[in-house]
Amino acid sequence: MRAPPSGAITRIALIVLGLILGVYGAVLVWENPPVIIMRILVWALVGVVLHDAVFAPVCVALGFAARRLIPGKWWAPIAVAAFCSVVLAFLAIPVYGKPGIRPDNLTVLDRNYPLGLSISLAIVWLCLLIYFLAARLLPVRQDEMVQQQSAGDVEPQPPAV
Amino acid sequence: MTTTALRGTAVTARVGLALGVAVAVCFVTGLISHFIQHPQPWFFWPTRPVWLYRVTQGLHVISGIAAIPLITVKLWSVWPKLFERPIIGGLVRQIERLSILVLVGSMLFQLSTGLLNIAQWYAFKFFFTTSHYAMAYVAAGAVLVHIGVKLPIIRRALGEPVDDTPVLVGPTRRSVLRGTWLAVALATVVTAGQTIPLLRKVSVLAPRSGQGPQGVPINRSAIAAGVLRSARSPDYRLTVTNGSTRRAFSFADLQAMPQATHRLPIACVEGWSVDAEWTGVVLADLVAAVGGSRESDVRMISLEPPGPYSRTVVPARHARDAKTLIALKLNGQTLDLDHGYPCRLIAPTRPGVLQTKWLSRIEVVAR
Repeated sequence: MRAPPSGAITRIALIVLGLILGVYGAVLVWENPPVIIMRILVWALVGVVLHDAVFAPVCVALGFAARRLIPGKWWAPIAVAAFCSVVLAFLAIPVYGKPGIRPDNLTVLDRNYPLGLSISLAIVWLCLLIYFLAARLLPVRQDEMVQQQSAGDVEPQPPAV
Repeated sequence: MTTTALRGTAVTARVGLALGVAVAVCFVTGLISHFIQHPQPWFFWPTRPVWLYRVTQGLHVISGIAAIPLITVKLWSVWPKLFERPIIGGLVRQIERLSILVLVGSMLFQLSTGLLNIAQWYAFKFFFTTSHYAMAYVAAGAVLVHIGVKLPIIRRALGEPVDDTPVLVGPTRRSVLRGTWLAVALATVVTAGQTIPLLRKVSVLAPRSGQGPQGVPINRSAIAAGVLRSARSPDYRLTVTNGSTRRAFSFADLQAMPQATHRLPIACVEGWSVDAEWTGVVLADLVAAVGGSRESDVRMISLEPPGPYSRTVVPARHARDAKTLIALKLNGQTLDLDHGYPCRLIAPTRPGVLQTKWLSRIEVVAR
């Protein structure tokens, strides 16, 4: 079936509208003094560099190491728990040490964030533990059982009785 | 499944779709907030339901925070493309790479500055509101261009099953997606309590617990505003003017006028909000006392020395609304100094920053 001609029109419309919005945004940025424009651009670029050259490679390295230490059937739940932990850590950055606190206003940053982060991390990993226990104790369908097995699960010889 | 197979357009497109929805909500609610603060003749902002701004601005911050796990997975799913050959390539390839740089740079800029701003951490040395507003167009534009360029790939990927081959060992693409939705839910739960009362206790990473004097948090304290002395002065008068007509009200005069009590939320641009019971004089009664028209905008001037938010203009629609109060009491008690004693504006569907505190003067604006 041929692609509907509206597809091309939609794409062109999206790109043109996107360019208009983007140029308008650039004009708004451009209205700032040069030093401010530089700070804005540097902030945006540092974000990209931090992700591409620091965060992503560290994740790859950790993932690479974890794959060698952890049995295959555990990868998925552990990866999810690790990712949830990373997200919690991201969200904790601006509140953990209360860098924005001001003595005249105690209604901002008024929680115990180290405790909150610890509890939320503990809950994430506790859920993982419960997941493992549930996976072990609950009746499992046969194909799931096979799916969860890796090459390492095939025993080389019958267990000694 | 290897990570190479886990990354793949099936994941990228689905997480990208969710991210696109989050960005769209964030962009639209952000524009709404901007235009309430910088009114344009074509912009219409209703006074009902009274919680409208509470919802739009709450959604702005919630969708922005939801975008953080989404963009993390989205970037993970395409990261190896960074090293695809040719690294430099032809002009088209360079333009494509540049557009991706703009997209990622502006998105990370918006999410990082927004997250820092709600915690009032001004680590950046540029003005938050103007740069966040300008970069919002850059980010939204880059997203639209990106969708336009990738549309055939997105359509194909969304039409195909998530996992194209049976998986024998380890995670599947479906588990990547499930993990992503779980992380989005977690990020929401640990922060959204600053605007959703039900989540208040579990939002352990929210910049606000919702507590404060008289059960309401504050953003600008009386000390920061420099009004400690003027707000408590026995000579305090609220001056109301309409052209040459001018009347001055002492605190006792205001207390002697007919009082109205309404439940109205105070909703901050930073995404926190709480409901409270406000008691005071209906603004329209004060405007009528100086013969002002119901069709006129009304300017609020604070005791606070001139600054960006020491004076605001209430559009006529809000100024004549029966629920717009010059509040003297909050939750049954005389206003705390930090909440704007002797009197403050509280109107439906307005950002907290425009609910001027420590009022010294109300001017009916000539039409």
